[in-house]
Amino acid sequence: MKPRQIAGYLFASPWVITFLIFWLFPLLFSFYLGFTDYRLLKPTYSWVGLDNFAALLSDQAFLQSLKNTFVFVIGTIPLTTMISLILALLIDKNFPGRTIFRSGYFMPSITSMVVIALIFTNLYSRDGYIYLLAKMVGLSPPENGFLLSNKTALLSVMAMDVWMSVGYYMLLFLAGLKSIPGELYETADVAGAGPIRKFVSITLPLLKPVALFIIVINTIKSFQVFVEVLVMTRGNYDTSTAVYFIYESGLSRFEFGYASAAAYILFLIIAIFSLAQFGLLRQRVTP
Amino acid sequence: MKYNRIFAVLLIAAVAAIISCSGKTKQVAVTLDWWQFWTDPAIGPTIQKMVNDYETANPNVKINLTDLTWSDGHEKIVVAFSSGTAPDIVELGSDWVAEFSSANQLADITGDVISDTAGFLGWSPGIYDNKIYAFPWILGTRVLFINRELVRKAGLSENFVPINWAQLRELCFKIDSIGGDVHGFGSNAAEKHRLYKKFLPFFWAANGRIISRDGKLAVFASDKAYRALKMYKALNDSCSLIDTQSRLEDAFLAGKIGVIISGDWLLKRIRNEKIPIDFVTTLIPGPNFPGKSFAGGEFLAISAGSKNKEEALKFIKYITDKNNQLLFCKTNYSANPSNREAASDPFFTDDINLETFVKQMNMSEMVPAIPQWVYVEDIIESTLEEVLFNDAPIAESLYKGNKKITKILFDK
Repeated sequence: MKPRQIAGYLFASPWVITFLIFWLFPLLFSFYLGFTDYRLLKPTYSWVGLDNFAALLSDQAFLQSLKNTFVFVIGTIPLTTMISLILALLIDKNFPGRTIFRSGYFMPSITSMVVIALIFTNLYSRDGYIYLLAKMVGLSPPENGFLLSNKTALLSVMAMDVWMSVGYYMLLFLAGLKSIPGELYETADVAGAGPIRKFVSITLPLLKPVALFIIVINTIKSFQVFVEVLVMTRGNYDTSTAVYFIYESGLSRFEFGYASAAAYILFLIIAIFSLAQFGLLRQRVTP
Repeated sequence: MKYNRIFAVLLIAAVAAIISCSGKTKQVAVTLDWWQFWTDPAIGPTIQKMVNDYETANPNVKINLTDLTWSDGHEKIVVAFSSGTAPDIVELGSDWVAEFSSANQLADITGDVISDTAGFLGWSPGIYDNKIYAFPWILGTRVLFINRELVRKAGLSENFVPINWAQLRELCFKIDSIGGDVHGFGSNAAEKHRLYKKFLPFFWAANGRIISRDGKLAVFASDKAYRALKMYKALNDSCSLIDTQSRLEDAFLAGKIGVIISGDWLLKRIRNEKIPIDFVTTLIPGPNFPGKSFAGGEFLAISAGSKNKEEALKFIKYITDKNNQLLFCKTNYSANPSNREAASDPFFTDDINLETFVKQMNMSEMVPAIPQWVYVEDIIESTLEEVLFNDAPIAESLYKGNKKITKILFDK
């Protein structure tokens, strides 16, 4: 091996070693654990084959948490994507105070999720501003606050998540808008195209790669929703999600085998969704 | 002559050095690791003082104190036990002892503490499989807190305290009828690890049981459980403010709730924050006369792998003795020492509210010491959620809950 190659390996080794120890090994080991009845505090454990997976598929709590996760994903992604695109289009215009708006929308993305979740927990409570506002405009919010009702708790967490995420995705869309050559719009102007025609025929097709990226990363992130649930509801009122279920099984009950199996089921679901999204959107993105 | 003097001085110095060295080797240093949860600045220095006093009285012992927090302390203890790095002495919540003793992680101290059992309260959570694994330290129960100003406004005598369910219902309904933002009763929302603690006093007062006396059957669904849940639901549905425990306490202190069930931490808060509220504490009512309450507490256990079990036990007995428990309770305004002698001190008997807690402790139950408690707790809370917040039929929900408990405990 040449000294140059050795130097390269040496430079890469800190990351490679960290990856092997803290990522790859836990990943493979947890896959193995999914087929065992391993529990902390239990001196021995044994191979149980697919028992954990079979048990999970008939575990009402797990199935409910999966259902809640799907509701969360399906409910938040289209809304987040649309709102962030609209905001990006608005911010892209030249108007006084544009920077303030841009920073303002982005601010939640760089604020701690725990802080935001705590603030929203108060806003959603019976004497919180959102609750009082809902009452003021004639809505009839649940008697004990938005987070203490099966009907509104998950929706409230979803609404907060949309509010928190749009700023980040708005910036990505904004970057996409900036990369569209101005000549295309000038040509369209010459051809007499109106704003809607320009948006449908130029902006939207050229934003598709960015939209694909946003939808895929938002899907992965939404399937892993956890901190919001932990801080705001602790899984009560029909808000338990797949990752929260894994946390409860693994770190509250220490059933590492069961929790690992649940984690791999979630992994499989995310992988299928991501591949499907790539497949569907890539066809339309590729010219 | 001169050389003789020098020789004598050197000889004395050598002898002195040998004596001092041998003295040091005689003092075999024992280091005890102690993990505990009392991190509040109000009590932390007192714990440290107890440790310092012990070290002064026992120069051969050093105590390594490690603070844990309730948010992740349980995880840390589990990881420490499973990796063989558990401390000599560990503070455990009452419902954790069975989990660790059933996994053979705690030392059996039966023989060493059997003579102490009469002098202390609250042994049951520390016993697993007829052996004692943990020593009760500071206990805690819940009592009824009543806002006397709201009692007056409701048209009742300000000295009125309910002694049975009918009177409790009447009191809560009358306070609730004051209207505005005033509610009769503070009922817990579906809050994990809290909701069941508010229902179990009603359940136990109606003579309900979770497991049969011989430990062979789940008997959670019964006519007693039905009666208790019906009573609790009546309060919950018709005159309650439903919220999390901390927000219920805020509302009680703000004069918006007439009656809540709470622990000695609320007394401490009222005293420390000098909250101007006219309140009284009383025993939780039962169907016909004062009933039972939920109790828990802090237990001290010795790790099975500890090499200093004898010293650890000596230290546990020191920390839980009358004087140290009194010092602890006076500093922290805690109401329920496990030491019976300490509990009869004028500090408790002269304070009307602390006395209520002491009396209630004698009429309290703790959850059964079973390793699967965490699952059973979950099932009880789901059953309560179904009935209280989804209006599921009581009998059917109790039956379903019982079936799940049977499966968890007896795999049937």
